Parts: sequence; C-alpha cells; structure tokens
Amino acid sequence: MTRPRPALTGWAFLAPYAIAVALLVAVPALLNVGYAFTDHTGLTRDPQFVGLANVRRMLDDRFLLDSLQASLFHVSLAVPVRFVAAVGLGLLLAAPRPGGRWFRTAVYLPTVIPDVALAVLFLWVLNPLYGPLNQLLGLFGHAGYNWLADPTTARIGVVLMLAFPIGEGFVVVLAARRLLDGRLYEAAALEGCGPFGQLRRLTLPLLAPVLVLLAVRDIILTLQVNFVPAYVLTDGRPANATLYLPVYIFDQVFEFSGFAYGSLVTILLMLITAVIITGLLLLVRRWRVLR
Amino acid sequence: MKGVIRLAALTRSYGTTTAVDGVDLEVRAGELITLVGPSGSGKSTILRLIAGLDRPDSGRILVDDVDVARMPAHRRAVAMVFQDYALFPHLTVLGNLTFGLRVRKVRRAEADQRARIAAQRLGIGDLLDRYPDQMSGGQRQRVALARALLRDPSVYLLDEPLASLDAPLRFATRADLLALHRELRTTTIHVTHDQHEAMTLGDRVVVLAAGQIRQVGPPQQVYDAPADTFVAGFLGSPPMNLVPGGGVLGGDATLTLGVRPEDLTLDDAGRIAATVEAVEALGSEAILLTRCPDGTRLTVRTGPRPGVGPGDEVRLRADRLHRFDAATGRRR
Repeated sequence: MTRPRPALTGWAFLAPYAIAVALLVAVPALLNVGYAFTDHTGLTRDPQFVGLANVRRMLDDRFLLDSLQASLFHVSLAVPVRFVAAVGLGLLLAAPRPGGRWFRTAVYLPTVIPDVALAVLFLWVLNPLYGPLNQLLGLFGHAGYNWLADPTTARIGVVLMLAFPIGEGFVVVLAARRLLDGRLYEAAALEGCGPFGQLRRLTLPLLAPVLVLLAVRDIILTLQVNFVPAYVLTDGRPANATLYLPVYIFDQVFEFSGFAYGSLVTILLMLITAVIITGLLLLVRRWRVLR
Repeated sequence: MKGVIRLAALTRSYGTTTAVDGVDLEVRAGELITLVGPSGSGKSTILRLIAGLDRPDSGRILVDDVDVARMPAHRRAVAMVFQDYALFPHLTVLGNLTFGLRVRKVRRAEADQRARIAAQRLGIGDLLDRYPDQMSGGQRQRVALARALLRDPSVYLLDEPLASLDAPLRFATRADLLALHRELRTTTIHVTHDQHEAMTLGDRVVVLAAGQIRQVGPPQQVYDAPADTFVAGFLGSPPMNLVPGGGVLGGDATLTLGVRPEDLTLDDAGRIAATVEAVEALGSEAILLTRCPDGTRLTVRTGPRPGVGPGDEVRLRADRLHRFDAATGRRR
C-alpha cells in the first residue's frame, strides 16, 4: 500500500469547504456581475443584456448619492467608535481583577442579543419622550433630541446602537493582550515608563497586527451590518439619512424589482470597501505600524 | 562609595507562603555577590524587591543609605537583566537600547550616540538594526546587558542571566560577565540555581533555602566549611556524603558526619570497607557509587580510570570530616 502524498491529503481535506465556497460564494458573485448588465427584475426568467444602461442610470441616481453619503458618514463614525470601545475595554479588562469576569460578560452580552432585538431595544432607548437617553441628558439640563426624526441624530443613533455589539473584537484584544509577556512591562517600568507610556510604546505597537486586522474586519462589517438597525429604527429615513447601501440594495432588489440595478450597487459597495481597506493598508505601511 | 546595599529583616509573603523570611544582608560597594538556592528559595523575589518590581511586607532595603522600599522602580539606581532578557520584540537593538533614554526625554541624537557606545563596548555594534528574533541567545543577552549598562546604575541585578544559553556559550559568557564586572566595578547581585556559577562568579555567595539565608561567605570558604547540612548537600556535585549518627565514619549518635566525595580515597589501609555498585566515568574523573556493609551509601570522586568495577570490594580512607549537630543540622 502506498501512502497518499501529503499535498493530496491536504487538498482532500480542503475540498468540502472549497466546493461550498465555490457554489455559495464564487458562482453567485460571478452571476451577480453578469446580472448587473441585464434588465433582470428577479421575477422573470429571461433577463436581456442591456449593456451599460444600468451604469448610466447609476450616474444620474440622486438616491444613490444620498445612500453613499449615509454609508460613508456611518463607516467614518462607527468604525472608530467601535474600535476604540473594543480595544479600550479589552485592554482595561484584560488584567485579572476582582469582579472582572462580570464586566467582561457585560461587555460581551450585547453581541449575543439578536440584531433585531437590540434594534427594538434602541427604539425605546432613543424614544424622545420616555427614552432613557433623553432622560439622562435631562439630568444635565439638556432638552434632549428627537433622535430618529432628525437626519444627523438618526445617523448618530444608529452608530450608538452599533457601539454595543463589539464582543468579538473585544475578545480578540483581550486574548492578544494576555499573550504579551509581563516581563516586557516590568522592563519598561524599570526604565520609568508609566501606564500611558507602556500603552503607547509597548501595548499598541505589539498589538498592531491584531489591531489592523480588527480594523479591516470592522470596515467590511460596518458597511454591511447597518441594514438591520436602519430597517428597524428608521427604514432609511429621515430624508434618506440612513438609506445605507445595504438598505438601498434591498429596496432595489426586493421592493422595486430592480434586481439588475441592485446587483450593480453591490459591486459598487464591494469596490468602496476595497478602496477604504487599501487606503488603510497604505497608511499602515506609510506609518510603519507593522514591522 | 556608590553601590552599598543593606537588606534588614526583609520579608515578603504570598498568601500562606513566605517567599522571603527576615533576610539581613549587606552587599559591599563594587562587590559581585551570588544568590544561590533551589527553586522557591526566594532568591528571585529578593532581586525583584531590590529592583522595585515587588513591595516587601516589612523590612528595609537601603541602597547607598537611602531606604528605597517604597520608592518606584525607575527612581532606584538599579538595572536588571532578566533571565529571558525581556527585549522588546517590536524594536531593533537600537530601539531597545534607547528605549529608557527616550522615556527619560533624552534627545534622539544623544540617545543614539550613547546606545552606540554601549553596543560597541559589548561587541554588538554591528547588530543595531536587527530585531531580537533575528539574533542568537548570546547576542540577545549582550543587548540586555548593554541596556542595563545605559542606565548607569549603582547596582546591577542579574536574574539567571546565563540560564537560557547552551553549555559552551554559558562558559564563554560567564568569563565575559566577570571581565565586565572587573572593568566596571559596579555592585552586582547575581541570582542563579547553578552551583557552578555560584562557585566561579561571585566574590561572595549567599545560600538561600525557604526564604532564609543559610550561609554567606566567599565560595571556597562556604564549600570548605558549610554552615549546616543543607548547605553541605546543596553546594558540590556530587553532594557531600552525610551520615546521620556517624556510622561508618565514626562519631556518636548526636552528630551527623559529612565527607566530600573528593575527600574519600581508595586506600588498601583505609578503615571503611565498601562494595562498588556503579562507576560513572566522566572523562577527567570518575565517580564511584559504593555501599558499606551497614547499608550506608558513599560517593567517591577519583581520578579517571580508577581500576575498579561494579561488585569489587574496596577500602576507603576519609579525610576532612565535617561535624553537624544531628538535631539542628548546624555545624559543630
């Protein structure tokens, strides 16, 4: 009996996953590119090739412009907020301290709540009459906001809600911080490096590879997961302020039977994601964040 | 003179374990002193207490007559070299060396200049652009030493600095450490569990067990006249033969008698009869494991090729007997 070659064994193990990815991701993605240049409605079975008609429509689409603006506003606010929250809490709660596990559980908890439930909860939190957020502002003498009725505060409200389900990034930071060698911190302390110096000179540079990965992942995620809050909290309103790209795509494909046009917008979403991440990685290289 | 350390009734407990138990010790300026003991004897804890990485429960730590026990680590005039060197993996050698200087707001040009001088001195001047994971253990150790050098301390604290090196390198580095100390003449406290290092490296050796000092003195003196049976058994390899009640070595029931393996000689006129059980030939010498008729085991160090084998009957002569109190273990 001959032993199978190692490479072959590897491919054999990979095969189920590779086949699934091909069938469920690669093929639909390719079909999607194809549909983007047809008049497919999603209802009929005979889409016709229409060339660049959908692209021309895109260039004149005022709603798409609103949607792009909403998405970019969202990603530029939500990613930093979620990142700082996950990293800050992860570093703060990494050290063993009394009651630490309760705090860690509390930080992770919103992540296991289904998006829809969290959104319904935030409908109450952001309620202008009896919501706790306005009541909290009232304690400081502020009249509060009509959160979901004003374009800017509506966008901020969605970001606020998404600032809570940060458990995955939090756990990754927690684990990565705990892997760092305590002796390095002792060596730094001997040199007179205080807590903030240690954060700046040791923790952040040592965690940089993990942090860059988290940021990339969160950009991809944040451009997509705003669908549920927008759908439940505002349904894209007011004045298209929360008509994020995923919401707009959903509307086109399933509400307006514009499957082909929706496909084209998904390609746009992918390109935007790629551009932002490329920009981030260029910055990372420029600033020599990674060795 | 700079570099006098006095520890007075120093105590540190963790839970129910007393790691350091009322230690009194005076280290003279410019001295190289070695703390040696089995693991858990408190030697590293003493080093960490002096460095300021840990706080004592009670007692005083005087560096140059200043009580530093409550002083933050970086304000003490001490530099520490860790066992695994604790080099910053994200920084080059130059970055590692200038780390402390930059924290202390020394200008970059001056910090670089001083780092280069320290690196030259330790023979790592051409490694300044390397990262720690691109260097050998010996090179890393030199970077750690250079980093300590840059603090210009009154006291160097070395926590098992040779433990991570392989045997030939350890031998060479031990000589380098000694040469460096002779050149700098800075007080150095060196922690090791390796009795070879304890014997060769220190002006004086401090033997610790269970958080207490058992004996302090020049290595040869401690070896020749161990203060108790623990020290007798700990220093020396193979350890001293200890016979409770004297047994084949003579003496009475109130004594424990000891004899070093090299003080037992194969001698046809010797008083002690024994049977060879095993011979360990070490090349330059041989170790005989023997058993006397009453069951006492004696280890004998002889020259190479002793001419006896397992099962042979031999007679031994014992010189330089050590007498310890059978009850307390103290030397009498």
